[in-house]
Amino acid sequence: MKGRIWVALVLALVLVVSACSSDDSDDTTTTAAGDTETTASDTETTAGGDSQVSQTGFDFDLIFHDKDASGTFWGVMKNGFDAACDAWGASCNMIGDPDITKQAALVDTSIANAVDGIVLTLPNADALRDSIQRAADAGIPVVTINSGSDVFATTAAIGHAGQDEFIAGQGAGARLAAEGATNILCPIHEANNAALQARCAGVEAGATGATVNQVQIDVANLDAAFETIKTEVSDESVDAVITLNPDVSIRARDAIAEAGSSAMLATFDLGEEVLNSIEAGTILFAVDQQQYLQGNLPVAMLALNIQSGLVVGGGLAVLTGPGFVDASNVAQVKDGVAAGTR
Amino acid sequence: MTTKLIEVNSVSKRFGNVVALKDVSAAAGAGEVTCILGDNGAGKSTLIKILCGLYQADSGEYRVDGELMDFSSPRDALEMGIATVYQDLAMVPLMSVWRNFFLGSEMQKGAPPAKRIDVAKSKDTVVDELGKMGIIIRDPEQPVGTLSGGERQSVAIARAVYLGARVLILDEPTAALGVKQAGVVLRYVVEAKKRGLGVILITHNPHHAYPVGDHFVILRRGEVYGDYRKEDIPLEQLVQMMAGGADLETLQHELEKAAESTGDQELAEVASEYGEEATELAEETAEAKERDGDA
Amino acid sequence: MTVDAPAATDDRLVQAGLAKKVLTRPEFGSIIGAVAVFIFFSLATENFFSVDAMSAVLNPASTLGIMSVAVALLMIGGEFDLSSGALIGGLGMTMALLTANAGLPVWLAMILSLALAVGVGMFNGFMVIKTKLPSFIVTLGTFFIVQGAGLGFARLISGQTTIYLSDEFANVDFAKWLFASTPFAGIRIPVYFWIAITALATYLLLRTRYGNWIFSVGGNAESARAVGVPVNRVKIALFVNVSVSAWLVAMFNTFRFESAQIGTGVGSEFEFIIAAVIGGCLLTGGYGSAIGASIGALIFEMVRQGLAFARWEADWFKLFLGVMLLLAALLNAWVRSRAQRAMS
Repeated sequence: MKGRIWVALVLALVLVVSACSSDDSDDTTTTAAGDTETTASDTETTAGGDSQVSQTGFDFDLIFHDKDASGTFWGVMKNGFDAACDAWGASCNMIGDPDITKQAALVDTSIANAVDGIVLTLPNADALRDSIQRAADAGIPVVTINSGSDVFATTAAIGHAGQDEFIAGQGAGARLAAEGATNILCPIHEANNAALQARCAGVEAGATGATVNQVQIDVANLDAAFETIKTEVSDESVDAVITLNPDVSIRARDAIAEAGSSAMLATFDLGEEVLNSIEAGTILFAVDQQQYLQGNLPVAMLALNIQSGLVVGGGLAVLTGPGFVDASNVAQVKDGVAAGTR
Repeated sequence: MTTKLIEVNSVSKRFGNVVALKDVSAAAGAGEVTCILGDNGAGKSTLIKILCGLYQADSGEYRVDGELMDFSSPRDALEMGIATVYQDLAMVPLMSVWRNFFLGSEMQKGAPPAKRIDVAKSKDTVVDELGKMGIIIRDPEQPVGTLSGGERQSVAIARAVYLGARVLILDEPTAALGVKQAGVVLRYVVEAKKRGLGVILITHNPHHAYPVGDHFVILRRGEVYGDYRKEDIPLEQLVQMMAGGADLETLQHELEKAAESTGDQELAEVASEYGEEATELAEETAEAKERDGDA
Repeated sequence: MTVDAPAATDDRLVQAGLAKKVLTRPEFGSIIGAVAVFIFFSLATENFFSVDAMSAVLNPASTLGIMSVAVALLMIGGEFDLSSGALIGGLGMTMALLTANAGLPVWLAMILSLALAVGVGMFNGFMVIKTKLPSFIVTLGTFFIVQGAGLGFARLISGQTTIYLSDEFANVDFAKWLFASTPFAGIRIPVYFWIAITALATYLLLRTRYGNWIFSVGGNAESARAVGVPVNRVKIALFVNVSVSAWLVAMFNTFRFESAQIGTGVGSEFEFIIAAVIGGCLLTGGYGSAIGASIGALIFEMVRQGLAFARWEADWFKLFLGVMLLLAALLNAWVRSRAQRAMS
């Protein structure tokens, strides 16, 4: 008797999901890159809308290197991704895993699922090169984002949208040095991300006359990070801290205050609290990589490539940052954060 | 007097300040069942651990076939054919009957690297051997945990017998069993005895010991309280010796106190009865000891 | 007692025997679960029922499965290993440091990292036996040691947490073929290893005396010891088996991705245990199956990739994964309890 209930439950679940998914799945017959015939037959002209844009029916997957798309950083990227997909009439899915082997497996799945295009973060270009090639061979264009701006050209990706971390770091370092920093603390919050290392390296290169010390913390354990930073800034020779993540920057701000340190604080990436702190003067400036664009632009890049074979960037990365947010423009940026676009 | 298969003479063992055993002797010959009786705390478990090789006695002798032995581990004792069946450690409940039966002594066939268990032969052998002991197992694949407690003990005994034990040491085999199941186990003890094994049966239940035993050794507080052949002691006396005069006296005092506080006449009478029994028992015990001294 | 009676009972026993035998196998429930999950995703998505999809599921399932089989054997033997996942990343990093930084030839680095794996396994085994603490705790300690050592040495020796090896691996074609090739139909070579290892482990468990010992050590170690089973040796061997399997998976990863990264594998140790449990292993030990663990790994990856195929909102990913796994495990348990009732 009990058994029948289980069978019924499973069947019910199957029926519900089949019903749901059949609404989402696209009806396009061809999704090959560069096939220009589909555009004319698929699109409906909307009032004032570009006929190429409104109803492509493409399936795009964004595969990134974190567990879920929440938090001040990935959430904004997802907003950009979703907004672009809406605008292009595409069906989008954002999925990820910090373990590189699992991220590669998700790419394989997307290829097997015959998506139309893939947006992919590139924390380890060598590890993912193979999968990107397979996607290209299967006629699925890939745009890389966020990490790997210096190596994406060695893969089969058709373009990259992101911030060159080293360049951004140089900019930040230069600004800190200009403010008089001589001993800069750079906490790295993710142990396996080359991009973060590039940022600190850039800071060191840009901050002429200053030393930069890296310290390892874990973004999954911010309380411990707080203590670590507090200990570090208790050393009075440390006169500046540059964090690589908005959540970390808030902890750093509090740690500096509690340690009674007079160190300057700057950070990469934005968040509502970060902007409040800039207004209040407890954070000097924030480097905005504008991750909204990293989710948003690739959709257009992929769709245009599929429709017309267009390639954006000329083999170079499309730079989404660095943008600098300080007391002079913080109000405008605040509106953007509240709207989920910054 | 034929050489006993297994004997301990005047063994003593202490743990720190606690004397667990003092000058204890016991023996069993081929086809003989010696019961070691005693209440909890009498020292039975220490004795069994010395017999099975887990402990070494501080003083005294341990002889097998008349030869002095010094076992440093249960494996040594096993190799001399001394098999111990523990009360709660006989079997692995989740494993099948045949796997349990051959655990540690698996029947194998083939040459390495393809050396493997002969499953068919193992199962057949198990059904056979258990059948010889009177246990009918329909499916040797069934987990041994699905057997009753008595059947499990019996399988353990059958295993020991099959694997060539010459001496069986049984640790409280009937302690956790009901009447019928205890009977089943005792039947197999008799089977083993008939096959010429020596059996040392540890128990605190004289009613179970008496039907199968040839020899009874009673332990109290680590010392031998009495040592009798079956011919020399009737069951009732065995029971009374196990109960012990001191315990009866304690019982008497408790009942007297209760009688006083409640003013219950009947209770007071019962108390004095116990008092008389205690005195009788003390006298009988003294007489029996004298008799032993003569015999 | 007539002559007829025994014959009649024998017939009944034979019929009941076969059905019983199938139903009570520990894998049976997981097979049902796997079929149910497969049908579910084939119906709920467009592309799950395809050759490409199968390779997208089988490839990650193979490394998960190899580890799950090893972990299942250990669980049957009554112990856990929480350091197995971190060890995969640590061994890969060891390979990288030895080749890229110490300049050793690749084959030598492989041997040395294998020796390290064996050492970690023996360490786990000895510590569990000597301290008599639950293996959960002991191997949790090893987990942190491995993770910390890997991170520390990586930064100390190379200054990086990701080391690229395409130069060092330029001339090791045989190793690349052995560990990272894709012989046929998009199905990578670790899948073949997985199948072979599952078959071997099943044979070991059910047809050799070592298997008997493993079941007994997990079921009741003291009883096993009392009849002469070398309990300590069996446990240490099981721990070493897990760490050597971790080495094999590390080789697969290193030669496929030609790089090593700290953090690979961390967190996977629970996936191995989950797969083993779905496949019929009892958490308390003494019961389980290697085939079941492999089916558990297959179910796990069918669910993980299936959800991606269905392109459900990633926000719900975790929820659905958990629910589906619970359903599969419940189904497994239900089938097993039905089967056991049928037996008595």
